[in-house]
Amino acid sequence: MVDVLNIALNAAAISALYALVALGFTLIFGVGGVLNLAHGALITVGAFAAQQVFRVLGLPLPLAVLGGILAAGTVSGLLYLGVVRFIQDQTVKVILSTVIIGFLVRHAVRIVFGTGTLTLPQLFPGSAGILGESVQNNMVFVFCSSWVLILALFALVNYTTLGKAILATSMSDRGAALVGIDATRINTYTWLLAGMFAGFAGVLLTSFRSGGWRMGLDPMVLSFAIVVLGGLGSIRGSVLGAYIIGTIETVTVSVVDTRLTGVVPLLILIAVLVVRPQGLFGRAEA
Amino acid sequence: MSTGDSSADTTMDASGDAPLDFGAVEKRPSLAELRDAVAPTPKRIVGLVGLAGLAAVPLAASLTDLIELIGLLYLMLFAMSWDVVSGYTGQLSLGHAFFFGLGGYTTTVANVQHGISPALSIPLGVLVAVVGGLLIGVPALRIRGPYLALVTLIAPIILLQLFVLFSSRLPVLAPAGLKGQNGFATSPAPVVGSGSEALIHIEGFRAALMGQYYLSFVLLVVVLAVLLAVTRSSAGSVFTAIREDERAVSAAGLNPAKFKIFAFTLSAAVGGLAGAMFVHTTAGGAQPSQLLEVLVSVRVIILVVLGGMGTIVGGIVGGVFFMLTTLVLGALDSAVGTVPVLDTGIANLRPVPLLSIALVTVIFAPRGILGWFDRLWAEHVSGEAVPDRETAPLVLVVRRYRQQIRDLGVFGDEER
Repeated sequence: MVDVLNIALNAAAISALYALVALGFTLIFGVGGVLNLAHGALITVGAFAAQQVFRVLGLPLPLAVLGGILAAGTVSGLLYLGVVRFIQDQTVKVILSTVIIGFLVRHAVRIVFGTGTLTLPQLFPGSAGILGESVQNNMVFVFCSSWVLILALFALVNYTTLGKAILATSMSDRGAALVGIDATRINTYTWLLAGMFAGFAGVLLTSFRSGGWRMGLDPMVLSFAIVVLGGLGSIRGSVLGAYIIGTIETVTVSVVDTRLTGVVPLLILIAVLVVRPQGLFGRAEA
Repeated sequence: MSTGDSSADTTMDASGDAPLDFGAVEKRPSLAELRDAVAPTPKRIVGLVGLAGLAAVPLAASLTDLIELIGLLYLMLFAMSWDVVSGYTGQLSLGHAFFFGLGGYTTTVANVQHGISPALSIPLGVLVAVVGGLLIGVPALRIRGPYLALVTLIAPIILLQLFVLFSSRLPVLAPAGLKGQNGFATSPAPVVGSGSEALIHIEGFRAALMGQYYLSFVLLVVVLAVLLAVTRSSAGSVFTAIREDERAVSAAGLNPAKFKIFAFTLSAAVGGLAGAMFVHTTAGGAQPSQLLEVLVSVRVIILVVLGGMGTIVGGIVGGVFFMLTTLVLGALDSAVGTVPVLDTGIANLRPVPLLSIALVTVIFAPRGILGWFDRLWAEHVSGEAVPDRETAPLVLVVRRYRQQIRDLGVFGDEER
């Protein structure tokens, strides 16, 4: 029983982290129809910015977290305004250029900051007891903050004017334009938002484990699995997908074999793509 | 249009000898066209001179340069294999390393762990890569665009994960394991080498390397000829048509699925062959960094993008460009030393310069060096107009529509 509880708590925390990464990715695809393969690099940017603020500027940790979020958001917004905005109708160009930009950003980080391992202290040191099981405070924070952000995003999309404009743009660029919504502005907001989610995820990942200039790649691949499972572009699908994949991974890793980390989500992904390409909540292709 | 008997061997699905006019796709080439196909146009002469240059380069190269050049030839082969499927049919693959890896690892395991001669293990590698091509190609019929890009990106990552999983032992298939992240330390027997285990024995290290280079060069020329023949044939026209409008291809009574699978299989075979031959040279080895990592796939894409997508020759042109930038950066590195602000050597900047050039090319000159060359040629020499995708009628209509919406000024507080 104790073992089951432990696995469940671990799965909840990991899934919450995965959801953060996947949300930004799916938001961009859902609204602009753009596959942002530079998403992983934004994770790296967030982590390195936070580390710079904390270690070099010597500012307190909460400010470092904020710095990471803002830096990744800025890079993401610039990426949209500077490059993607002009080519977003051309799928091939978008995919190729975001792949290239992802590598460019990652290597820029490597050249400027070196290849060393990245660490941040735990955001909330110590541990708490949940149902008799000792859990790191850090994990509790990851879980709670992830859900606060998920709910905030839901509220934003469903109950505000901006959210309605985002939904309208995601349904039809042209229709949105006809009722006076500027798609470029909406897209910029979603890219900013997505970048901030990625930046936060980067900071959490670094504080949770550790980071480095290549750290963005694995979470990004994982978020592919999640968003494809949930349906590309569906927020609710991504959250569910994150929990399904996070749980299955935690269970296989702790019950079957540790070496299975990373393999299971990808196999699930391939199965989903072959059986039901539009995912659980995705719109079938017209 | 149609020249009497339609030579619809594999291309027609519905009725065998229906009097349908498929235009250029179904036409059997006349003698005059065949003559045109091999006529020494200026562009072809430039191409032949380029190939002659590639054949001459090793004569002046040092030993280390020679090894790098061999690696470059295989990079070009990888690039051509990508171009067949992604450049022509528009089925964007982000993980062609999957095929290189399958070919290279299969022949390595067969040779090192089962003692099979390269003469047999290389074809085995090609076979496994072809199976891999079918594995990707068949599901690729159902998924397209972003989804396909994701699957192909993930295929080599899964393969690498499996190699890590079975790094020390895989029963029956690889008794000594697949060596995980580091890859094989022992290289398989070379096809051309100075040692006794080599398939073709040549005395002396330099002579053996030269042998390897020219064997690879011959492979490059053969593959180039085959791919040019396929893509310039009626099948090639269908590939391009699939890229432009798949529904139109179906409407013309051709089955896009068949052609897509053909493209994927052909591409996998070439990629697998190149991967398999590569590990049997001094330049290559069955290591993830050489055959499987995401950067390998991306580098291949970059070469084709630089050279020109959908041209086959683009991969070679991109490869030459890659070599030149490496040379320039190397010279700068020894001349300048460190970059002032960043405080690091220029060599350490790799691959940023190439990535930047590729990014600019993707956005501003999507037809690459060859497209640019075509336009210059048309403008200054032949005077013909070159069709430009950027100003295709449909693009112009959409652009005008957008502009009109903007001009209406409905976006109240718009900044532009």
